[in-house]
Amino acid sequence: MEELAEFGTRLITQFQKPTLGFLIGGMIIAALGSRLTIAESIYKFIVFMLLMRIGLAGGMEIRDANLADMLLPAAIAVVVGIAIVLIGRYTLALLPGVRKEDGIATAGLFGAVSGSTLAAGMGILEAESVFYEGWVPALYPFMDIPALVAAIVLAKIYLNKQKGESNGKVDIWGIIKESLQGSALSALLLGLALGLLTEPGKVFDTFYDPLFKGLLSVLMLIMGMEAYARLNELRKVAHWYAVYAVVAPLTHGLIAFGLGAIAHFTVGFSPGGVILLAIMAGSSSDISGPPTLRAAIPSANPSTYVGSSTGVGTPVAIAIGIPLYLALASVVFDM
Amino acid sequence: MTQPATKVVIVTEEVILKGIVKIIDQAGVHGYTVLPARGKGSHNVRSGAEPSVSTSHTNVQIEVIVADKTTAQRIADEVAEKYFDNFAAIVYLTPVEVLRGDKFLAD
Repeated sequence: MEELAEFGTRLITQFQKPTLGFLIGGMIIAALGSRLTIAESIYKFIVFMLLMRIGLAGGMEIRDANLADMLLPAAIAVVVGIAIVLIGRYTLALLPGVRKEDGIATAGLFGAVSGSTLAAGMGILEAESVFYEGWVPALYPFMDIPALVAAIVLAKIYLNKQKGESNGKVDIWGIIKESLQGSALSALLLGLALGLLTEPGKVFDTFYDPLFKGLLSVLMLIMGMEAYARLNELRKVAHWYAVYAVVAPLTHGLIAFGLGAIAHFTVGFSPGGVILLAIMAGSSSDISGPPTLRAAIPSANPSTYVGSSTGVGTPVAIAIGIPLYLALASVVFDM
Repeated sequence: MTQPATKVVIVTEEVILKGIVKIIDQAGVHGYTVLPARGKGSHNVRSGAEPSVSTSHTNVQIEVIVADKTTAQRIADEVAEKYFDNFAAIVYLTPVEVLRGDKFLAD
């Protein structure tokens, strides 16, 4: 009983953190019709700065890390990414009013990872001084790419069956290449490489690190405003998308949390790492996922997957998911 | 001294810009102009009109001027065939008068 109360208090205090405040603030002012806008180039710059900083920090720590510890969490990331797409394929895509390719594309985005959600999660963990291994952010591509590939393959299989042809092979390498070339992953991987191979300490300490918290708050504001705008698009499609977008982030996060906990108790994966893995699983791609899907599955209606992910999925993952996993971790791992 | 030519105008989503440029290139035409665009159509409201933006939802207007009308028609038809089903787009042709007409000859 006491643990339940502690869990509850933990949950509530999270809502007062600036990260969530800015997110909800953004949604509210957009709903009130505010004409406040943040230029797209600034949005892109912020995403670059945040992921570069995460990559640099990760790369610098990987130097001293034992990479064998990364194997099990990386495997879990791949499994979770693909599992999320399969779950969506056999739940959302089968619901009435939902076109199969739209459902699969949506599941693909939810299997992929959101850079902004990850950044928000790391910001909150750092504010709480929760430790995690430096290489945990590097798990991003291990979940992101398999999920997108799985979604595109499943969609192609379904569409080919529709047309009655067993047309062409799916260009998997092309999809992987395009995902890696996306702005979010490029910044992250470049940061990791620079952190690992060069000595970026000075520029990290004086530029990328101090600006992280501030830029994160602006990004949350933008995500909040964007979420409200996308909500309108979601209204035009089946209501099941909204239901999925609320239930899925938490479900996926809890699945990943469970698997991550197994990694903790077997190979000593840190609690912070488990939380981040859960956050990644619960996140849904907003920046790099949609263009990849748009190009690979053109017949899927973007209002469904972008609306679900940006309109509902990301706010739920950040506002409800992150506090949830933190509170859960404090109980399960005795933090 | 002006010569008659045909301008193909395509207003569509930025995501397919690369594909359209490829079609233009393969038709043997090597010059075109791209302008940013925003607006509304039967498909959906496209960004530029929203508070903040995601990169996959901006529009472009592509203008290609070709001396020979058949080539212009071919480009227009190919774009229509490939993209009309799944992407928001409008395509129209308009007669224009150009200077330095040899710039607009296709290969």
